Amino acid sequence: MGYKLGQYIPGSSLVHRLDPRVKIAAVMLVSITVLRADAFIVVAVTILLAGITFIARLSLAHLLRAVRPLVIFFALIFLVHLFFFTPGAPSPLPLATYEGLYRGAILTWRFVFLILSAAILTMTTLPSELISGLERCLRPLRPLGIPSHDVAVMVSIVLRFVPTLLQELDQIKEAQMARGADFKAGNLLARMKRVSSLVIPLIRNSILRAEEVAMGMEGRGYRRGPRTYMRELRMTPSDYIILALLVILTGLGVYRW
Amino acid sequence: MIKVEHLVHTYEGGNSPALRAIDLEIEEGEYVAIIGPIGCGKTTLIKHLNALLIPTEGNVWVDGMNTKDTRLAGEIRQRVGMVFQNPDNQIVGMTVEEDVAFGPENLRLPPGEIRRRVTEALEAVGMGSYAQRHPHTLSGGEKRLVTLADVLAMNPSYIALDEPTSSLDPAGREMVLTLLRGLNKQGIAMIHVTHNMDEITGADRIIVMEDGRIVLSGTPGEVFSGV
Repeated sequence: MGYKLGQYIPGSSLVHRLDPRVKIAAVMLVSITVLRADAFIVVAVTILLAGITFIARLSLAHLLRAVRPLVIFFALIFLVHLFFFTPGAPSPLPLATYEGLYRGAILTWRFVFLILSAAILTMTTLPSELISGLERCLRPLRPLGIPSHDVAVMVSIVLRFVPTLLQELDQIKEAQMARGADFKAGNLLARMKRVSSLVIPLIRNSILRAEEVAMGMEGRGYRRGPRTYMRELRMTPSDYIILALLVILTGLGVYRW
Repeated sequence: MIKVEHLVHTYEGGNSPALRAIDLEIEEGEYVAIIGPIGCGKTTLIKHLNALLIPTEGNVWVDGMNTKDTRLAGEIRQRVGMVFQNPDNQIVGMTVEEDVAFGPENLRLPPGEIRRRVTEALEAVGMGSYAQRHPHTLSGGEKRLVTLADVLAMNPSYIALDEPTSSLDPAGREMVLTLLRGLNKQGIAMIHVTHNMDEITGADRIIVMEDGRIVLSGTPGEVFSGV
């Protein structure tokens, strides 16, 4: 089975071992930098991401797989800018301008970077570590009413049950096919209608399941509010150094104008 | 000791009670089997033992703590572990070890202690090498063992099991039953709900339920000669 979008790729590189909080901060900092992008930053961030990719021992194929589902979206952004950005000197293409070409290219790269940095994060961080990291990043917001512990439990339950629900969907589909349903025949509308015969049982089962899961969690002493964690996150000196470097780089990138 | 005193339970919107005046005592270290037809109230009864359900009438005491006192629910649930029928809906962790850690994390234990308990519980059910596995890649029997480890990690005095061998093949069934007897020998009381007669011949006591009542109770010898 091939790797799915952003799926964790086991490894022991420096990037894999970084504290998840540092990696989350890095993605946020790169995103901020990229939003002020000009040609210089595009080059700088490209080099940075290429370096991280190399250190994490990810291949170009991994990265391409992460952006592939969004290719149409990227193309659309690029084309819209190319043709609808009017000022500037005209180019050989009708309606298009060199200014539009430049803007379109930079904007498209921005989005590609955002996706790539998020993909590198999820490819080098175990989902459970990512959740611990998120939980700890959200903790300071608890006085504002954001229940970081509950959010963490919620996210991990979603990730836990996605494969189970997919298995269940297959079972429902097979059961319907055994009773003569054909999910391939007919036009698009007819096929979409037939999908409801999959979705409705799935939703019904999920609601029943949710009740049992909640009961099971309660039976194991779950209640809202603070809990402790088996996984401890500890910032090492190298985590602090890298975080400091990232902050400095972002500062330079944003304030050089 | 768990003491059930004149327990009546009517579900919200239900017109007849699911449990009608149950009186029952379960000693520490005892192996109690509860049998009866589907819908006789077995599951409703054991859900009362760790405060998942609260009596409509009567009381349930766990080591002297009344389950009606919501402040004690955490303590009661630590003492009485619960294993439900469908293991798939009890596993909430993304990996086996995270799932076993869920209970101790709820008890707010320190990380080192959680790690120790998770390792011990997985070893106890023979799943030590499965720590990093994802739940959806496990067989039915393996999932069942994980739910047992989940409960063991809480260090319970009692474990209530709702048809723990349902949908297992004979080998898996034998494995689970052997494990339950072994844990019982280590001093954990078992409350084993089933409708499989041959599973319960080794129990200290058999309780037969019908229509929300206990109709027969005694050692396997007494109960089987009564049948």
